[in-house]
Amino acid sequence: MRYRCRHTTRYDYGEAVPVSHHLVHLAPRPRPPGQTVHWHRLTVNPGAAVMVEETDYFGNPVSYLAVQEPHRSLDITAEMEVTVDAPPPFAPAATPAWETVRDAAVAVPGERAAEITQFVFDSVLVRPLPEVTAYAAPSFSPGRPVGEAMVELMRRIHTDFAFDPMATTVATPLAEVMAKRRGVCQDFAHILCGMLRGFGIPARYVSGYLRTLPPPGQPRLVGADMSHAWVSAWWGDGWLDLCPTNNRLADADYITLAWGRDYDDVSPVRGVIVGGFGHRLTVEVDVEPLGEDGYPL
Amino acid sequence: MADETSFTAFSAPGTAAITQGSLFGEADALGYDLGTIYDEMVTGNGRLRGHWQTFMSTLGPLDPDAMGVKWEEARRLLHQNGVTYNIYGDPQGMERPWPLDMIPLLIPPGEWETLVAGLAQRARLLNAVLNDIYGPQDLVRQGLIPPAALYADPGFRRVIHGIPVPGNIRLHFYAADLARAPDGRWVVLSDRSQAPSGGGYALENRAVITRVLTDALRHCGVEPLPPFFTAFKEMLAGLASWSRRPRVVLLTPGPYNETYFEHVYLARQMGITLVEGADLTVRDRHVFLKTLSGLEPVDVILRRLDADFADPLAFRADSSLGVAGLVEAVRAGHVVVANALGSGLVESLSFHSLLPAICRHTLGEDLALPQLPALWLGPGCDRAALSRQLDRLVVAPAFATSPERALFGGDLDEAGRAALLDRIAARPWSTVVQERPSLSTAPVWDGGRLQPRPLMLRVFLCATPDGDYTAMPGGLTRVSPEAGRLAISMQHGSGSKDTWVLSRQRPANLGAAGRTAHSDPRPPAARMILGDLPSRVADSLFWLGRYAERSEAAVRLLRAVYTRLVDGNQPGAATERGVILWLMAWLGMVPWDLATVGEAGGNRALRSALYAAVFDVNHPNSLRGNVQRMHRTAYTVRDRLSLDLWRVISQTVRESQQPTGPAPRPDAAALLLHLDDVMIGLAAQAGLEQESMTRGPGWRFLDMGRRIERAIHALSLMRATRIADAASLPEPEVTARLEVLLELGESFMTYRARYLAEPFTAPVLDLLLLDETNPRALAFQLSALQNHLSHLPQAPDMGVETAANIVAGARLALAAPALLQSPNALRTTLDRLAESLPEISNLVAHAYFSHAFARTA
Repeated sequence: MRYRCRHTTRYDYGEAVPVSHHLVHLAPRPRPPGQTVHWHRLTVNPGAAVMVEETDYFGNPVSYLAVQEPHRSLDITAEMEVTVDAPPPFAPAATPAWETVRDAAVAVPGERAAEITQFVFDSVLVRPLPEVTAYAAPSFSPGRPVGEAMVELMRRIHTDFAFDPMATTVATPLAEVMAKRRGVCQDFAHILCGMLRGFGIPARYVSGYLRTLPPPGQPRLVGADMSHAWVSAWWGDGWLDLCPTNNRLADADYITLAWGRDYDDVSPVRGVIVGGFGHRLTVEVDVEPLGEDGYPL
Repeated sequence: MADETSFTAFSAPGTAAITQGSLFGEADALGYDLGTIYDEMVTGNGRLRGHWQTFMSTLGPLDPDAMGVKWEEARRLLHQNGVTYNIYGDPQGMERPWPLDMIPLLIPPGEWETLVAGLAQRARLLNAVLNDIYGPQDLVRQGLIPPAALYADPGFRRVIHGIPVPGNIRLHFYAADLARAPDGRWVVLSDRSQAPSGGGYALENRAVITRVLTDALRHCGVEPLPPFFTAFKEMLAGLASWSRRPRVVLLTPGPYNETYFEHVYLARQMGITLVEGADLTVRDRHVFLKTLSGLEPVDVILRRLDADFADPLAFRADSSLGVAGLVEAVRAGHVVVANALGSGLVESLSFHSLLPAICRHTLGEDLALPQLPALWLGPGCDRAALSRQLDRLVVAPAFATSPERALFGGDLDEAGRAALLDRIAARPWSTVVQERPSLSTAPVWDGGRLQPRPLMLRVFLCATPDGDYTAMPGGLTRVSPEAGRLAISMQHGSGSKDTWVLSRQRPANLGAAGRTAHSDPRPPAARMILGDLPSRVADSLFWLGRYAERSEAAVRLLRAVYTRLVDGNQPGAATERGVILWLMAWLGMVPWDLATVGEAGGNRALRSALYAAVFDVNHPNSLRGNVQRMHRTAYTVRDRLSLDLWRVISQTVRESQQPTGPAPRPDAAALLLHLDDVMIGLAAQAGLEQESMTRGPGWRFLDMGRRIERAIHALSLMRATRIADAASLPEPEVTARLEVLLELGESFMTYRARYLAEPFTAPVLDLLLLDETNPRALAFQLSALQNHLSHLPQAPDMGVETAANIVAGARLALAAPALLQSPNALRTTLDRLAESLPEISNLVAHAYFSHAFARTA
């Protein structure tokens, strides 16, 4: 499926801000499996005095933006066209026992450590929590194929945790999400990462978009979409993308921007303003499916 | 060390080191394992070691009285020089006195050279490891660094990866903690690669000992310390190859950091500007210092701030200590940060067991210095083997950023053991185990005699332009407070010692250089760089002036009222006391009801209100409160104040303290003497400001603060006494008010000399308001302000012009003909000035302090 995405972040400041610095993860990874990037562009208003494209340690594109003239508002807009192919079918029962995957993850040759091993350890937002490990334990019976454990955990989180945008913010610690059993996609992705890592299974946090289908008979609402997050887990010979928010294996509806250990590594927009106080943040995401010919459906 | 082979039972062989912890951290708690210990001064047969003989003979007889005198002298110097350290989270922790023992640690030249060669190799190795980790990561690829040792360590800063550094130097300044094994070899306990502390304290120790043990130092031939810091600064400046006159700054977390004293001291010693994060800004991926005259480029940042806090954009977003965009400036190659961001990684004890193999692989040689045996528990640790040996092991966090403490297995009960083993099993890579170190002992002067105490030595090295390392010939020696205790922590009563590296050269050639620590070693160019005045510093100096003046005003009022309490029978005393109390109430120093009582003195409420106005720190307008604010403000700009000025301020702080202990409250007469002492201190401070500060922008802001405060205070007194309406008051009342105004305005003598008469309204007001030759007169303050405002650097907004207009307008108003003859005109003028003059303070602040960052380069 081919998509055109548009992601706008707007800050309105209480008073003129003399300088602002931003790091943004808003460009799609160049070559994640099954995804082709046709073009992308980043625009900033007012124009940024500095705009540098870099690649972070995880291989994601990241841009540094600095606006150095007094501004009362800031718009950062990312646009892109990508094609996502449906992944090959996945057979959970055919994966190795989770203990095998666990032991192999820390024993991979050095060249592959950055790709696999680094995602098994604690990170800033996914710290060790006994209650998270305890929750996951029933899914890791001895010798169980790791794929089965992953899919079951995804389903359990979807069942036991309520989607509730009012329950958490980006600053809510994992323990609180675990205690309340509610949150949003970022929280569920963190929880699932924590559960898998607690049993030695490498797990990545993935940031991207999800195509949303309008209710039958109604037109698609422009700009009503959201940033999305899910988990990519190592099953011994590849990564499996699991979406605990929707209890779905990621497919052609999922557009990948970036991955890291947690939200902190790949947050779409991270900013520091110097001077001024107070701001209002508005985010608008639009994921538009295109036909084979490249025109909107 | 007993049982190294048994470690192989549960993992790879290796050596490693002892507990983490800062210079003052509690985590320095080591177990006790004195077997056959090594003593620095005497051999096992009780004979004086050769290199101690000259020292002991020049020290003279170990007479308790003579040593006591020397000890007192050292304490006095440390106190006067304000050598302190802070303890986080401790309200009493600001400025603990620095403990220094009189007897230095002596190290003979041959032994020192061996030690330094080993440490230089270690520094080269750690630098190479950092360059690999933040570059090609061959060591990971080739299995010399297990992935868990890198990726589980929060100290690995992924955003730094791939950023090259000038000269391939990431470790510019390195320190190692060392202990001496029973066989006499120095053993590395731990590495300091983030922002090593202690070098400045070592310098200060030398400065003090130089004055106390002058003869001994000269006769022994001791290597001087200052050249090391000169070389260090030159190396740093040389890294900024793009700049012809590089600007090097020292970035401090600020006055609340435990080693802030040292930051101030080092900045001075090296002749570089001391800055806080808020003083710097990033524009176009260049770092700039916000000064009064605009943004000045910064080329090299010597940081005493952990990487975590250095850039809220790249690291901890909640840090307010750092500089947003700093990492991007480093990435662009526009600034050098020393040590490089991310260098703290190799402080992790996990590296110790890996270093021997990495050393052979990378440098093609064996580690020259032994390390304390220890072991990193990587994935696959054998729990049973560990459990069997736990009782004799120290269990420490593997990663330097861990908040956990080292603990000794033998101290745990069954439940504690099980919990620890569970914790280790879940994340074995987070832990190292090690044996307890053996520490040597050195003589400490305690209880009137020399006593052996365990010690640790911290040695400092800096990189040289050719990629090698050179050591400061000396170090920071820390000694345990008790013979049997190996807990060495400044927070728990440990002491420090000067460290003498004995020279091969003739002693006579060294003495002079060793004594230069207190003179100014800065080359002329460095002095010029100090001319940069960060806006924050200007702000603080301005408020230092205001608080100092406010304190003076409070003392004068208190003195005036207590004088009249002590001797209430003087003619007019009762009326004048009423006037003063009225003024104090007007200024918020005492409650209004006291001012309106007006009875003869001695009532309790009055005395306790006055006592509170002197000493109560929670009283917003008390003398003590103002002195404390002055002190805090001065503390934040300590690097800008001369040593004498700082001593005087510290003295005033002590004098203004409420007496403690069982003694009864001092009576009014005793308080008067006390207030006199505070006044003398404040006067000395004002004098030093005039006599010892160059007339740069810094002094101008300080003096502006004083002038504005004095002008506002003078106006308050005039208005509160309703002196404009004197004609309508009974004569004794007028006389009392004029007497008080003259006294508070420090102009009594002048008036008497000039007029030889009782005070009359017009001449008194002329002297206190209009006389530009009287430094207490309002007109004098306005004239000084006008001068300052015209000499300030250009500001971007119109605020300074507006302020200058206000001052000019005020001068005009005072010059109005027959002002003193018209009560109405006078009253209106005083009211208007009281409204407009405080505005000057806001305008100046707006122009220079709060909006400094809005300026373009």
